[in-house]
Amino acid sequence: MMHDTATHSDSKVTYFWVWGALLFLTAVEVVLGYRQVFQPVRMLEVLIILSIIKSALIIGYFMHLKFEKALMRWMLMASVVACFIIMYFFFFPDAGRVHDLGVKWTGQ
Amino acid sequence: MADATLQHDTVQHGVPGAYEAPLFGAYSKKVGMWLFLASDSLTFGALLFAFSYNRLYTIPWPTPFHAESIANATIMTACLLSSSLTMVMAVFAAQRGDRAWTRNWLLATMVFGTAFIVLHGMEWSKLIGEGLTIPGFPKPPSAATGELADISKNVPQFPATFFGLTAMHMLHVTIGVIYLGVVAFRKWFLPILGVLWIAGYLLIPADNVFHYGIHALLLGLIVGAVILYLKPKDYDAHDVEVSGLYWHFVDLVWMFIFPLVYLMSTKIQ
Amino acid sequence: MVAQDAHAHSAPQGFIRKYIFSLDHKVIGLQYFFLALTAVFVGMFLSLLMRIHMIWPGVSLPLVGEIKPETYLSLLTMHGTIMVFFVLTTAPQGGFGNYVLPIQIGAPDMAFPVLNMLSFWTTFVGFVVIIAAFFVSGGAPLHGWTGYPPLSALQSAGPGEGLGADLWITSIAIFCVASLMGALNFITTTLDLRAKGMTMMRMPLTVWSWFITAILGLLAFGVLLSAGILLLMDRNLGTSFYVPLVVVNGQVLGHKGGSPLLWQHLFWFFGHPEVYIAILPGMGVASQVLSTLARKPIFGYKAMVYAMLGIGFLGFMVWGHHMFMSGMSPYSAFAFSILTMCIGVPSAIKTFNWLGTLYKGRIRFHTPMLYAIGFVSLFVSGGLSGPFLAQPVLDIQLHDTYFVVGHFHLIMGVAAIFGIFAATYYWFPKMFGRMMNETLGRIHFFITLAGTYAIFMPMHYLGMAGQTRRYSQFTEVAYQAKLIPLQTFITVAAIITISAQIIFVINLFWSMFKGPKASDNPWEATTLEWTTTTPPPHDNFGGVTPVVYHGPYEYGVPGAPRDFVMQNDPATVSAH
Repeated sequence: MMHDTATHSDSKVTYFWVWGALLFLTAVEVVLGYRQVFQPVRMLEVLIILSIIKSALIIGYFMHLKFEKALMRWMLMASVVACFIIMYFFFFPDAGRVHDLGVKWTGQ
Repeated sequence: MADATLQHDTVQHGVPGAYEAPLFGAYSKKVGMWLFLASDSLTFGALLFAFSYNRLYTIPWPTPFHAESIANATIMTACLLSSSLTMVMAVFAAQRGDRAWTRNWLLATMVFGTAFIVLHGMEWSKLIGEGLTIPGFPKPPSAATGELADISKNVPQFPATFFGLTAMHMLHVTIGVIYLGVVAFRKWFLPILGVLWIAGYLLIPADNVFHYGIHALLLGLIVGAVILYLKPKDYDAHDVEVSGLYWHFVDLVWMFIFPLVYLMSTKIQ
Repeated sequence: MVAQDAHAHSAPQGFIRKYIFSLDHKVIGLQYFFLALTAVFVGMFLSLLMRIHMIWPGVSLPLVGEIKPETYLSLLTMHGTIMVFFVLTTAPQGGFGNYVLPIQIGAPDMAFPVLNMLSFWTTFVGFVVIIAAFFVSGGAPLHGWTGYPPLSALQSAGPGEGLGADLWITSIAIFCVASLMGALNFITTTLDLRAKGMTMMRMPLTVWSWFITAILGLLAFGVLLSAGILLLMDRNLGTSFYVPLVVVNGQVLGHKGGSPLLWQHLFWFFGHPEVYIAILPGMGVASQVLSTLARKPIFGYKAMVYAMLGIGFLGFMVWGHHMFMSGMSPYSAFAFSILTMCIGVPSAIKTFNWLGTLYKGRIRFHTPMLYAIGFVSLFVSGGLSGPFLAQPVLDIQLHDTYFVVGHFHLIMGVAAIFGIFAATYYWFPKMFGRMMNETLGRIHFFITLAGTYAIFMPMHYLGMAGQTRRYSQFTEVAYQAKLIPLQTFITVAAIITISAQIIFVINLFWSMFKGPKASDNPWEATTLEWTTTTPPPHDNFGGVTPVVYHGPYEYGVPGAPRDFVMQNDPATVSAH
């Protein structure tokens, strides 16, 4: 009845590698961000991609989803990601419009 | 409905095979936690979308974070990432049935989590002291001037999103530490929590926002007490694993907040 | 699996553990049901006050006195909020879902009984908090159930926008947490606790509808929670997520730089799935009752399941049709318009399947059947105005008019209520062990159906003629003078319809104690709740778990000894 804990015996070493990879990616992010290597929009893209890689590592290994049933993996990920994609397509055009139409009071 | 209460000592329900195989192949508690996390990720997702939405049309967006803030946030990130590793170790220990080491690893996780909260709290206080604040926060004794105070005045979106997002995340980390504490020490954790709450309330000055924020501990104390009253049981490997899921999720959220809130607002040299 | 450990709790002793803080899903279901019943009467009373005020604005009523314009706004806000959250979300899902879902899949209880109890009591706290908004200084909030800022975000915006509005948004946040707990419980139960043989495609359509509703709730309420947190911050901490630069009474407020559109996006991202949360369980109940009492298998079971999944999926992509007139990007409006009309496809599939189920059936016109047919009728008449409102161009004329009010009351309000009535009359024998009175039920049905159409159909005409919603007083407005007779007609119809609900309450409570005893399977239905005793024992099946051999709607099977095959009949007759 216990969950399949014995199926991946290489286990602990993997997690240290994952941890190392996460720290390394964080360091890369910090250097990129602090040195302002890219233009802001490009920087945002790079940081978001790195963050998605990091979260995939956390979800897959630390949260163990890589070892769950395929149905569970796909259902959970698909529903949440779908919501974010839908939000992305409908929220941001309006944010752009608020700015472009100049209805925003810009400060001074 | 008096006749509805049948006496039955030998209930068949526990027998494996009485049910269809669970669709997700995992035990219910894990499925439940995953579903909660799906919902919670949408809560955080909505906050991040609100932040990005504000940021997109607020031009120019201030970029005030110096090396000091970035270094501090990087250390905080490392704390959280390491706490995830110790959490994994706790789950391993629980699965081999090693109670002592489960407790030790959980304690290590909690220490990292607490370090995160304390570092973050100190940074908040420093930023508020330098003038980055929202109108609802208690006013520091002397009004600050400078870049951050100007930002608060001219671009209120910046402090609002910064404090909103990080407060929500800090609350989740706090809940996580309390959750792990209850799993590791059960009812013996509650008095510790109570002492921390009172000490925090008395020691933090009234013009600091954490003088009020510390009441989150009281809330955790009440909820923890209710849950321990309703389910006074020994927590097993499954419970540790499920609490670990929550903890890793908190870590995961920070992986998005850190670059979006801090790294995208570093000082342009 | 280990999940079942949770159900080892034995039958509780003592009044409090048995009826108040019970872990039994059946008791919790009834608690939800009675909470919703209380809420629906509060909500109905508020609507009655509004209708009377519209026609006779000067009249002084007992208890409330004369209704001022701001009181009218409070009434409509609280009517909407209480009805949407504490009736349409609570009764079908929390009430009947809780009571029936575990029995229908052969489980002894929900997957997390303690969470189930907490979820009810959290909902209860939410209800108490929102009712408290009536009694604080300033009274209830004015901003409508959608709570659009800047009105909802400013303490100084009106008399109800002080503490009352804080309580309102707090109550909604509490409700979000409660629904979240309920939703994940429903999903886990359906995934993990189906009896042997109860495959996903053998689940009754009611179970499917609760399951899909729970998924919608899980994904939608989280977003509302963060929207509410930001609104609370705007109100109490002086941030400006939703508030642009505002001048009130010549004074510039401290807010600046926010966007009211952000709230609308976040709110309707929840708000549109919410209308499916209200209507989907009704669809499930209608399918169940139509099939059972027409003595025919449901027409197109799989199509019904896929249609519900399709509605659930599309339901997340259409929220912008509430915002056509709000300054949203016209390109988004175009996409939302197309997607909204796409939702007509699965809805039409469902309607055709219901009609197909009725076609050539041996229909038994019991009260639940009448209500199920009424549900289909309202679903069609309310749904037909949907494609009109889905056009951004037509919406210029129709938005914020009584056309919209008529549309959503028919399809999401009263249709869902008809689903609840059908469910009440259908499952009452199982819940209380007695039958409800058929004659009273029929009288109640015909008055309610006729009354509903008399109230909401004229509203479409009012809307097309330009009558705006949420205006407290229009008897003195010249261009609306010709509409007053129609308004009076609606008010009279509303008074009659609301009075007719007393018949229902009498029937409910009289039958609970004095009705004729019900057998275990009074409707000769096939699903698992009718295989156990009436009312079901503490663990639903008396210590055993049923084994399922058949699909849920096997009526009129050739060669079977009876005209129906129960799901757990080990009969050798192969169906389908």
